[in-house]
Amino acid sequence: MRRARGRALPGAVAALCRALPPRARPAPDTLRRARFDRPQASSHCWRLLCSLLKQVHGGKWTEPDAIDIQIRFIKSVLWYHGYGRPELYRLPSDGSAGSRELLLAFSWLLHRISLLEQLLARNRVRTGDETSVCTCEDDLTNSQKGRTEIAPEYSLEDKVDVRYLQWLHGRLRFQWRSLHALHQEQSKLLHKIHLFTSGSHMDKILGHFSVTETELIRQPENYKQLLQFLESETMQLEAFLEWKQLEQVYWHWMVKTREEELQKEEFCAAARKTQEAVELKLLDLTYHCAPKKPKMHGSCRLVFRSKHSASKTGFGRSVSKEPISTVSATEVIRELQMRKASLERELKQLQEECRQRMDEIAEGLDGVICISP
Amino acid sequence: MSIVTVQLGQCGNQIGHEVFNAICSDVHGTHGLCSKKENESYHEASKERFFSEEKSGVPVARAVLVDMEPKVISQTLSIAARSGCWKYDDRSHFCQKQGSGNNWANGYSVHGPKHKDRIMNLVRKEAEKCDRLSGFFTIMSMAGGTGSGLGAFVTQCLKDAFPASFILNHVIWPYGTGEVIVQNYNSVLTLSHLYRSSDALLVHENDVIHKICAQLMNIKQISFRDVNQVIAHQLGSVFQPIYTGAGPLHYSRSPLGDLMETLVPHPEFKMLGLRNIPQMPENSLAYSTFSWPGLIKHLRQMLIANATMEEGIDWQVRPPRPGSSIPSKHSTSKSLHFNTSIANLVLLRGKDMHSADLEPIFTSTLNLGLKRRTSWTASQLWNKLSPVTPPCDFYKCSQLELYCKTTTLEDLLASTSQNI
Repeated sequence: MRRARGRALPGAVAALCRALPPRARPAPDTLRRARFDRPQASSHCWRLLCSLLKQVHGGKWTEPDAIDIQIRFIKSVLWYHGYGRPELYRLPSDGSAGSRELLLAFSWLLHRISLLEQLLARNRVRTGDETSVCTCEDDLTNSQKGRTEIAPEYSLEDKVDVRYLQWLHGRLRFQWRSLHALHQEQSKLLHKIHLFTSGSHMDKILGHFSVTETELIRQPENYKQLLQFLESETMQLEAFLEWKQLEQVYWHWMVKTREEELQKEEFCAAARKTQEAVELKLLDLTYHCAPKKPKMHGSCRLVFRSKHSASKTGFGRSVSKEPISTVSATEVIRELQMRKASLERELKQLQEECRQRMDEIAEGLDGVICISP
Repeated sequence: MSIVTVQLGQCGNQIGHEVFNAICSDVHGTHGLCSKKENESYHEASKERFFSEEKSGVPVARAVLVDMEPKVISQTLSIAARSGCWKYDDRSHFCQKQGSGNNWANGYSVHGPKHKDRIMNLVRKEAEKCDRLSGFFTIMSMAGGTGSGLGAFVTQCLKDAFPASFILNHVIWPYGTGEVIVQNYNSVLTLSHLYRSSDALLVHENDVIHKICAQLMNIKQISFRDVNQVIAHQLGSVFQPIYTGAGPLHYSRSPLGDLMETLVPHPEFKMLGLRNIPQMPENSLAYSTFSWPGLIKHLRQMLIANATMEEGIDWQVRPPRPGSSIPSKHSTSKSLHFNTSIANLVLLRGKDMHSADLEPIFTSTLNLGLKRRTSWTASQLWNKLSPVTPPCDFYKCSQLELYCKTTTLEDLLASTSQNI
């Protein structure tokens, strides 16, 4: 059993490395050296983590900063996600040591925030027709379950002028409006593209070109680049599938690593958790595919259907074997309008309460009339 | 990034016409200040912003003309069509026969509700023509009846119908010795209503422009047309495409948005003023030379001393030192006349714009105190900003500045009562 696992391990590690995005792809040897806490592997590991985390947090690939800035960034992001192992935070800022700690952190991220899946989703070749939908109930407490919050401490002497805050609030409001206008423009232009290319696509169900395809027609020289991206993505996805098959081997290997540190509970639990998570996900999928109360969330592709209804084909986040779920845009709009109406009612109610409170306060003051807006 | 212009009343329509004229001639001018490619992209951006394409090839202004009398509108339409460079859409106008009689209430409470649907229909049609609507630009005068009363009503309707769009109101401040007896009442009513629905109020004072015409442009017999042309030139230098601070790669995608975000995010401070240098007759341009340091120095002192043009600037006025006490309203010290604006934006256009160095001059005036009864330093709100533009030929070296007055309504009432 052990020998079989030993043979499968290099395969698992190699698959994992191949599934990572091209710019942040370590050699499998680096991970092996990290496991033995070799100092030479440290700087590689820091850089690897840094670029992976930057991608996950939406940053574009920029020139790498100095090593101590990278280290600070990594530590802050890990803290944000709730990584509580003090040894990592004690690592020196010159990147000379800590490859094993980093390997642990990397594995933790793999499991905890579905690092691989997130990276794959972010680096997809875009059709250009994407839009994001969210009809979830506004549940702030749930979304921040796994994260630690550091409450800012304001000393009483640092008074902030409320008018400065109003200024900042106004700026945000105007920026939101500009963003809204940009979205409107994008929708309008997308509609034009879909309308004009209707009937031209090989796929009769889709019927029209996506933005990427349209661009390719206008500038055919770019096909080479697109082909490269697609090939690279395919390779990553194949590596990901391979990784999923061999995952258990990797976790057992990590468990042994931790066993050596006399603390094996977390990774045995991690391995168990992985299995549980997978089972939960399958349950989730079956639940979501049952059309009880479709709460849409995530990225979708806009597909133009006919004059009377534009619909969406959801590629979403669920890797399901069911047929692709479609939702019509009119449905989404209706749901969002209902949400909007209920939020407006809530706002009016809160405003009424504020008004009453202000009136009460004003009554207590002499010679003051409160004129509410 | 298209702007729909709503021209209200006699004044609004005449100025609007001059604005489109100025923009068109700017776009078509070729003074060799920049490369062909840059010129073309500037041309395209400007056209997209103010004009829409029509089958005949002549650009059609994105504008709605509203007046209660037919005379001015028909004149405006025909002059524009005759020019051959551009024209108005024949259907985008609304007029009646009776006029408003300089009566604000007539415009606001009678004409407004009665003709609301037809006017808003025209606006909606223009808005739908745009691929992306940046916002609305309304032009009106405060003294009359249509521009002021109906204008206030239309602004409110715009706000209700397009809550996510920016609305910039351009208001003409009447002559102190103006001919309309009730202009002060009309002005106050207009301003107070606009304050509620508009995002920003850009004020041009007739007296100031008149002085510019007389002293800088050397015009002997100043007609309304001359005044309007100066106003149009100033507006054009603000609204023509500019590069944003993000980088000289492309023009600002949201012209009104950028302006507003920098200058008027605070809901209580919405009044804007405009200063532009150099202003001179076009035939003198050939004989004049400018340098950025000189222009910037003048502009800075114009800002500090609250001067409205580059002649007769009081060079003695200095901003108060940071930390010093703010002079009271009734003090007679010289520093009282310094500018009390909260936010300022500088736009530069012309050759070698990158060599213009704003930093040493403007950042030294970091703390401009604010003359309000509750003391509040405006230091953190100073906007040094903006790099901008590309070579736009017509405004060779014009440089201008937009500043936000801190005047509240009470100060406004105080100053208008002085005019009575």
